[in-house]
Amino acid sequence: MSVCTVQDAGTIELYFYGELEGAERARIDDHLRQCRECSGALEELKVIRVALSARPDVSGPPSGDWSVFMQRLDDAVRSDAIARVPVPFKARTIVPRRPFVRLLASAALLAIVAISVFFASQAGRRTVETDGTLAPARIAGAVADDDAAPIQAGLAAVGARHFERSKLVVLGLAAKDPGAGESSDWAYERELATSLLNDTRLYRMAAEQRGLTSLAGVMRDLELVLLQTSMAEATDDSALPQIQRLIRKRGLVQKMDVVGTTGLVP
Amino acid sequence: MTPPDTDLISLAAAGDHSAFHSLVERHRSMVYRVAYQFAGNHHDAEDITQEVFIKVYRSLARFRQDAQLTSWMYRIVMNACIDHRRRQSPASAAPFGEEAEHRMLNTPEEAPGPEERAYAGELGEVLEAEIQRLPPGQRVVFIMRHHQGLKLGEIATALGLAEGTVKRQLHAAVHRLRQALTLANVTAGGGA
Repeated sequence: MSVCTVQDAGTIELYFYGELEGAERARIDDHLRQCRECSGALEELKVIRVALSARPDVSGPPSGDWSVFMQRLDDAVRSDAIARVPVPFKARTIVPRRPFVRLLASAALLAIVAISVFFASQAGRRTVETDGTLAPARIAGAVADDDAAPIQAGLAAVGARHFERSKLVVLGLAAKDPGAGESSDWAYERELATSLLNDTRLYRMAAEQRGLTSLAGVMRDLELVLLQTSMAEATDDSALPQIQRLIRKRGLVQKMDVVGTTGLVP
Repeated sequence: MTPPDTDLISLAAAGDHSAFHSLVERHRSMVYRVAYQFAGNHHDAEDITQEVFIKVYRSLARFRQDAQLTSWMYRIVMNACIDHRRRQSPASAAPFGEEAEHRMLNTPEEAPGPEERAYAGELGEVLEAEIQRLPPGQRVVFIMRHHQGLKLGEIATALGLAEGTVKRQLHAAVHRLRQALTLANVTAGGGA
């Protein structure tokens, strides 16, 4: 353990990487003249830089030929495109965000989800999955009539977006450093979890109604994680590790990967 | 004239495959470099790079035109690296979790340690090996700061972390690398 508090605070790295300016930089210049420990650490950083810069810069396949990679990627993307309903892109005009726009968007989303649940309940068990496979988008696409296809695709896209956003939250939570101890570190996840919770519950109920037990199980775990996250106190240091344990215990990341792999849209 | 990234993204999201192709060609080296520095071998670097661009493809329609493409892509790269690591080591399913973090901070992996490598090879190899032994979060932050030259604020934005967290991760990573130097009996005067 270092004795020097300047070094313990990570200031020497900031100095080395040019992150300090003006008076702060001058202060460390002075300190380095007096502190052998810090000047030694600075020298070691220089050694690290020289040694790593001497290593080859690898920015492509060994042969330098990207054609095999591009072919593989093309194949993967094309098969992915076939498996998914394309979501039309809309060029966005940048406007200042306003709270009522968010509220309207949330209301619209909730309305669409409510419609999807309604259709799911109407379709009942007519199209119940018999093999137990995961097919989340079919919750939203419960309308069997041909003339309902646009609605079906739209609902499926909403379901896919919801699932992707939820996955971002779960991955974000799993990747956080609980030792960091700053509540702002996961404030974004807590806020997003709160906004996703109601929809998750509706999707879970729809999945249960359709007899999609595997999917309902994943949504139940997701709902639990989102609930705990949204209810967590910013000042509670034990909350994040608890949620991370829950994610691990339920294998939620892996389960969500499976759902993602099997496809979110028909 | 080369179209800006935002135009390529709009076109690609509308189904223009050649626009997506151009986007990949433009950024593949950066992604591959980070992936290689993270994984330490071509096989995994290629897998991670492909995973990144598939995720980019799937997210085209959700890209905010007012956002920085590089920040967005770095976040995808980071998640792809961590996902890849998770698939490889199910035991450390949550690489930033307290138990896994503690284990990774204190338990040497099976790969040769810095001492063996220092005697067998050059110092750069020792450090590269040690980078591979860093916990994923520290590794990503170190790569982005040291290799990619991003400022702490830029890393924090790209990864969606607080700047203080990034600073601590960097400090921990550098501390580990300096320890590797000491263990390898390589001093500043004799190593460079």
